[in-house]
Amino acid sequence: MNATNRGLNRAILFVVGAVLLAIGIGAAAAATWPPAAAAWTDRGSGALAWLRDADRATRLSESTRASWLVLGILLLLAVVVVFAVVALARLGGGRSTTVVRDERGEGVQGQVTIRQGFAADLITQALSAHDEILASRVSTRRLRGTDVLQVTVTPRQNVSPRRVAETVAPLLDHLDALLGRRTPTLVTIRSGLRSRIAADESRVN
Amino acid sequence: MSNTGLNRVVRRELHSPRTVAAAAVLVLVALAAVAVGVEIVLHLVGAAPLLVDPGAALTWLRGIPEQPQSVTLPIGIVAAVIGAILVWLAVAPGRRPKHELGGTDRALITDNGVIASSVAERVRRELDLSRGAVVVGVGHRSADVTVRPEPGQSMDRTRVRAIAEAELEDYALRPRVKVRARVLRSADREDAS
Repeated sequence: MNATNRGLNRAILFVVGAVLLAIGIGAAAAATWPPAAAAWTDRGSGALAWLRDADRATRLSESTRASWLVLGILLLLAVVVVFAVVALARLGGGRSTTVVRDERGEGVQGQVTIRQGFAADLITQALSAHDEILASRVSTRRLRGTDVLQVTVTPRQNVSPRRVAETVAPLLDHLDALLGRRTPTLVTIRSGLRSRIAADESRVN
Repeated sequence: MSNTGLNRVVRRELHSPRTVAAAAVLVLVALAAVAVGVEIVLHLVGAAPLLVDPGAALTWLRGIPEQPQSVTLPIGIVAAVIGAILVWLAVAPGRRPKHELGGTDRALITDNGVIASSVAERVRRELDLSRGAVVVGVGHRSADVTVRPEPGQSMDRTRVRAIAEAELEDYALRPRVKVRARVLRSADREDAS
């Protein structure tokens, strides 16, 4: 659970993929199919000639090879690099340490912030008392301006997810009662290596 | 937070964010852009190119039809395949093997593996089978239940299905999962044949 912009991810994949696909098909066709080869050479020569003319026409001065065209291309490349770096830096994210932030407080009370560690201790401690739960983890994310609590639970193998839900739900109700408001919570029930290795739940309690 | 907000979180959790692929593509695009930029600058200052002079590269590109096919064709095909994979990653839903658990006012997501193992356990107990005699696979919209009865034990396919369905009904999964049951011939008869 994070604040990654998924639409952007997919848009990047789509654009780069479509360009590669077009170039690849074009090159393969040009290499094997004479009409495509003729068209490729034709267009290529045209584009090269245009580039050369534009390069010459926009020369900065007689003494250099630099032209406005080349500078424009360099600028474009720089924009691409900056965009890529910014997009990379923004992947993931949204991690937060706050469960409840109450900022309308006025007067004596002031502002109230409840940290993630509080909820995490509460929930993982309570869950560790249950035999059918192998492990639990609590994290908070800030998504679209709301703090969302994520409780990840790994039950023993063969334990019904319904039972896990019935174990976790009261704890969340208690947390809500304690905090005095309903906390948006996502409960994730995971299977994993750990539940496969650990012994099944014992039949006799 | 409104319930719709949490619904959005649940929906996001059920699909892959494509972060790994997007990050790899971004890194490669940035590296390629830097490489092209470096070559252009080297050309401008009149230094020797690192790999290839920009003008020579463009001329080579134009001359692809004249290059030997054994070089250009594989390059073209590889580029097209990678491009098709990326487009597929961008367009495909990228569902994760998870389901939303209904029936509560909490947002609950569970791995398909958890559902499968608990359905298998329920079927196994109700039909009094040995460990490993029930195999359950849970997909996006279907669950396959395969039962191998003990020698001499008679097994009804509809019964297996009913038990698995009852268990799944209890989870109120979204999207709903249809049960397909299969009863294998018991081990002894297989040995005999």
